[in-house]
Amino acid sequence: MKQIEKQVIGLVCLVLVAIGCNRDEQHVSPTGDNEAVTTATLVLTNKAVPTEIVTATIENLNATVDFTRATLNLRANTTYRGEITLLNKSIMPTLDATEEIRDLANEHLFVYTPTPASLLTITPMDKDTNPAPGPYPIGLTIEIKTGTVGTGKLNVVLRHQPGSKNGTPTPGTSDLDTDFPVVVK
Amino acid sequence: MRKYGTLGVISWLLISTITAGWAQSGTCTAILKGRIVGQDSQEPLLGSTAYIHELKAGAVMDTSGYFRLTNLCPGKYTVDYQFVGYKTVTLPVVVTRDTLITVPDIQLVPDNQMLQEVVVTEHRSEAQQLLQTQSSISGAALDQTRGQSLGESLKTITGLYSIQTGPTISKPVIHGLYSNRIIILNNGIRQEDQQWGTEHAPQVDQFLASRLTVIKGAASIRYGSDAIGGVILVEPKEMPARSGIQGEVNLVGATNGRMGVASGMIEGAFAKKLTGLSWRLQGTLKRSGYIKTPNYFLDNTSYHETNYSGDIHYQYKNVGIEAFYSQFDTKIGLFTGAQVGSLSDLYAAISRPEPLSQPGFSYALDRPYQAVKHDLLKIRAYYHTAQGGVVTATFARQQNTRQEYDYLSFSGLANPELSLKLVTHTADLVWEHRDLKTPGGGQWSGSAGFNGITQKNIRQYLFLIPNFRSYGAGLFAIERYAKGRVTLEAGLRYDYRWLRAYFLNEVTSQPYNTTHNWQNANGSLGAAYQLRPDLTLTANLSTAWRAPNVADLYSNGLHQSAVAYEIGNPTLKPEQAYNSNAVLAYSGHRLSGEVGFYNNLINNYIYLKPDSVPIIRQRGAFPAYTYTQVRATFRGIDATLNYKITPQLTLTTKNSLLFAYNQTERNYLVFIPPNRSDNSLRYDLSQGGKLSDVYISASGLYVARQNRAPAVTTRQGDGQVIFTGDFAPPPPAYFLLGAEAGFTVQVGAHPLSVILSGTNLANTAYRDYLNRFRYFADEPGRSIILKLRLPISVGKQS
Repeated sequence: MKQIEKQVIGLVCLVLVAIGCNRDEQHVSPTGDNEAVTTATLVLTNKAVPTEIVTATIENLNATVDFTRATLNLRANTTYRGEITLLNKSIMPTLDATEEIRDLANEHLFVYTPTPASLLTITPMDKDTNPAPGPYPIGLTIEIKTGTVGTGKLNVVLRHQPGSKNGTPTPGTSDLDTDFPVVVK
Repeated sequence: MRKYGTLGVISWLLISTITAGWAQSGTCTAILKGRIVGQDSQEPLLGSTAYIHELKAGAVMDTSGYFRLTNLCPGKYTVDYQFVGYKTVTLPVVVTRDTLITVPDIQLVPDNQMLQEVVVTEHRSEAQQLLQTQSSISGAALDQTRGQSLGESLKTITGLYSIQTGPTISKPVIHGLYSNRIIILNNGIRQEDQQWGTEHAPQVDQFLASRLTVIKGAASIRYGSDAIGGVILVEPKEMPARSGIQGEVNLVGATNGRMGVASGMIEGAFAKKLTGLSWRLQGTLKRSGYIKTPNYFLDNTSYHETNYSGDIHYQYKNVGIEAFYSQFDTKIGLFTGAQVGSLSDLYAAISRPEPLSQPGFSYALDRPYQAVKHDLLKIRAYYHTAQGGVVTATFARQQNTRQEYDYLSFSGLANPELSLKLVTHTADLVWEHRDLKTPGGGQWSGSAGFNGITQKNIRQYLFLIPNFRSYGAGLFAIERYAKGRVTLEAGLRYDYRWLRAYFLNEVTSQPYNTTHNWQNANGSLGAAYQLRPDLTLTANLSTAWRAPNVADLYSNGLHQSAVAYEIGNPTLKPEQAYNSNAVLAYSGHRLSGEVGFYNNLINNYIYLKPDSVPIIRQRGAFPAYTYTQVRATFRGIDATLNYKITPQLTLTTKNSLLFAYNQTERNYLVFIPPNRSDNSLRYDLSQGGKLSDVYISASGLYVARQNRAPAVTTRQGDGQVIFTGDFAPPPPAYFLLGAEAGFTVQVGAHPLSVILSGTNLANTAYRDYLNRFRYFADEPGRSIILKLRLPISVGKQS
């Protein structure tokens, strides 16, 4: 009889613990967004002077955006070779979205729009492997030609166009839409 | 449809009494016709008899399922309804000059040890005794909605609407209120399935229900706080009382979506030593592919549903215990055309007359989708005494796991974007005292009880709502006094709520928490008065409250599917509702119906107010919304009328009008159902040959344009056009044509019920204001639906 009593008490305790004392809601998981782009970096190399490298980074894109290191300080009438890097630091380990986009190049397109339009001239330097009427540009590697002295901004949009990429920005949805401030001296 | 505190039989008696006024001497040609069913099985009791005392004449219920007493003279008679093994029911009947009098189904109670079961059965439908405005669907009307989701099937009731997220997600709306302002009682248990989300449909298997009852208006006294909009009761069939095994098979097929549903139920009860033990197993499988609008398929609008439940019940003398377990498992595809990364994508999608991607038909189901599983375990015990009444104790555990998978662009990760696990424990103790008769001929009835609830929520991946723990306790009492033509009801309730939310400081990685608690007392008063035997006026005054939920308080994030950045407000106060309604119900000879008026005033009504400053995130600028409180009013009229043009031909009109207003900001509220009118003409064919219950009907649904919506305004913000109020004006009014035909045919010993119906027969292209995907695509086009229901019995019944 004692044995049974003990078992019953044990069972009741177990049930109470299971219901009331399980505190796993107090262990908070950090916020992680698979598709976040937290960091966008443009690295521009002066074609004429390869040692002259301009780097601009926009941080914290998925929260309150940090533009403190985002300004592109460029020389007038100069041609730069540019590369964009996107990182997702919201998940562990940090995801290099650039690599993923390169792998899925047939459904992605970077669109670069300077304001004012005369500030910069941008030409994508890479092509995807879409069948005819493709291939189409990707925009991971670009060439930037600066005009005369001025200030403005460079808008960068990453379009996701699964099964619908046609070389224009129209199809699909945006994964990134941000602006780098530009100063041409 | 409408039930009052009085039982259906009694109201029928009253109706019969007035018809006596028309009884005059005449020829003796009247026919009295009706069905006698077992209250346990709800099946006709073949061989049961109806016997008229005065005439010493009787009739046997034959295989057609009806008894017929012919050549009756006008007058008052007393009829005995009898069947072996059941208690005899004696009811008066008034025969008029009418040629055919059909009495409502006579319910016979099994006359054996199972009597207690029946007492408990009455106890379970206590909801029907409440004086609150309510409507229900059961029997043939419920069969007509089989295969639809809960939200869709309730739309046949006036004052009910649904908020949709594409064709696959539908949430019920009562008198303009939804989500947490409605309680769904699934098999007596308060359903807790993250119902705050507009795109979170209730996880309830519609095939579990033998009756869906909707209490319109504040009904929190009996069912708990939060129910300021109303309560939906999903009530399963009674457990079988007679020994033997029986079941039911339901099959539904629809052309649109090429949907197929199979649902089966098998149940049984034991005899001899195991008398009092009964069981039931039930399951439903549902598959649907891409839904087609009149002009194109909707990409990825497939869904799967797999549900099962088991119930075991044991009754010994005046004590009983029941264990019930159910699982609802669904995977719902979301229309890809509604997936937008940014506000400019949204504008581009809105400006397109048709979606860009228009694939052919498929059953494929890819991202974006929701995978939701809801488990419910319920244990109920009751004790019944002749002196003390009934005491019922119920314990339940629910676990809701919701995983939402978004459209992936580059990450290629297999994780969901959102994962929420909500575990709810509820404990209820209810005492329903026995009816007390007063010397003056009055009767007191009522109940009192305790409700306890605790919840925990665990999130992962994206932040939408925090982890939390909550406790709630409530005490209530309701008393009802009925005397003569008057029934009065009064209720009181006290609630306490405690909520602690857990967060993580992303910078320091230190956890922290915040705690809220609230308490509130509410009351209700109701009265029903029988103005004439065929005319009843019911009026109610009730108050109700709702504590802000975690989404109201702590939301903080980009709601991608809503293209909105939603910001919670931790300083919100509870909502307080003052609800008044009046219903006039008439049940005359050829005309019957009811007209209900309601006025719901809600102080501190919580809603998402558009902010003036957009939020900038990686995908661009998003309009921001903050939870704000205003004084809101919801006023409306529900009117249903049935008119028998001939004994076979019936015209039904159902009209729902709603006027909602934000009194604080002197503006309209967003997402308020537009006025609607549903009219149908039904012809019941005379019974002939092997077919019975043959009918055909045609219906027309008119939904007006919602002209009482906040104006769509635009302004410049961060180089983008920002809309406030809404993204697009409400769509135009629409009219939908439907038709239905049904009959019952005897297949061996079993009656097979067949219903063939067609929806949107004119294949009208339209959009509905309450569909959150109305910016992107049309509503479904024509669909032809076949519904079969076959009750089966295995072995012989004792």
